[in-house]
Amino acid sequence: MRSEQEAKRAIDLYSDMIRRICLLHLKNHADTEDVLQEVLLKYVLRSDVFENTEHEKAWFIRVTLNSCKDYLKSLFRHQTVPLDLLLEERPNISPEYLDVLEAVLSLQKNYRVVIYLHYYEGYTAKEIGKLLNKKENTIYSLLSRGREQLKQILGGDNIEK
Amino acid sequence: MKNKIRESFDQIHATGQMKASTYSFLLQKIENGTSKKPHIARILVAACAFLFLCTSFGWRFWNTPISYLSVDINPSIEFTLNRFNYVIDAKGQNPDGEHIVKQLHLTGKKYLKAVELLVESDAMQKYLNNDATLTFTVASPEAEKLLKDLENSPVSNQYHGTCHSADMASAHAAHQCGMSIGKYQIYLYLSAYDPSITLEDCQSMTMHQLRSLLSRYESPNTNDYYSQPHHGGHHH
Repeated sequence: MRSEQEAKRAIDLYSDMIRRICLLHLKNHADTEDVLQEVLLKYVLRSDVFENTEHEKAWFIRVTLNSCKDYLKSLFRHQTVPLDLLLEERPNISPEYLDVLEAVLSLQKNYRVVIYLHYYEGYTAKEIGKLLNKKENTIYSLLSRGREQLKQILGGDNIEK
Repeated sequence: MKNKIRESFDQIHATGQMKASTYSFLLQKIENGTSKKPHIARILVAACAFLFLCTSFGWRFWNTPISYLSVDINPSIEFTLNRFNYVIDAKGQNPDGEHIVKQLHLTGKKYLKAVELLVESDAMQKYLNNDATLTFTVASPEAEKLLKDLENSPVSNQYHGTCHSADMASAHAAHQCGMSIGKYQIYLYLSAYDPSITLEDCQSMTMHQLRSLLSRYESPNTNDYYSQPHHGGHHH
């Protein structure tokens, strides 16, 4: 079991990332808090050492995605598009960013996850494929379709690859 | 746009309250020394329980029906519970109920979990419109406890469920008639006021309709159905 200091370090380093991934899947703060606690508890209970920071971060991403999926499968979680969560966030977000967030969250789940991992976390298609256990070509397709949909929603041709 | 996506997600942070509550939660776990030992113990206990169940005695012990819980709106579903209040059988008591039960996996669940799964299912949700009446009726040696837990459950509160108890004799009579305990109980009250009312009449009516009919006979002060004696019902 990890120490108090390690727990605090993980909370400081990864809470925001876990929060963002939850935004892609979940409906409200309460659910997000549950997933946050579950993921960090798994980290604390895990005693083996990560190869490096990148390995650790990838672990957090995989576990958070899986926890969100499990949470959605569990009793009476309705799999609606999580735009409701933005209602809670709205007061804290500048209007110019709200459109973009809403656009990304309105995408199909597969698209919004890869869009987030590529454009925000900076992963390549190959790396995303390893994270999500999907083929690299599948990721390219998802990214391409996600970009296409974003272009339709937000307009403009300048969504870089 | 790439920067825009980046800047937009930069607006999203875990709140201070989330971090603080997570830290307290983890601290508690660390201090309690949550380790693999209890987990292994749980695995051993589960393995022993499974082996016990594999014996015919264990199987009979687990599957002996002890309590019955009916959930009525118009779909009528009845759960049979074992001594540990796990669902060992879930049965639709009318065509709508049968249709719903087929779509769900309710057996093997603790009764409150089964109730939540049932009421929150898409199939059941379409019956929970504005004037729908959700009724729970329990026939059990520990009816008080089951009813109290049901009354306090999120599902009961959210959908304004009413909870009633019935005796085991009524439960068996209801089963013989092919009716849920909840509807059978209302039928008993209705037929006391109007002998011309039949089981078939009641079977085809929704709980809302049945309660409306009963309220025509029972004044708010006497409300026999709604204020059963101590070993009986609870009303929201």
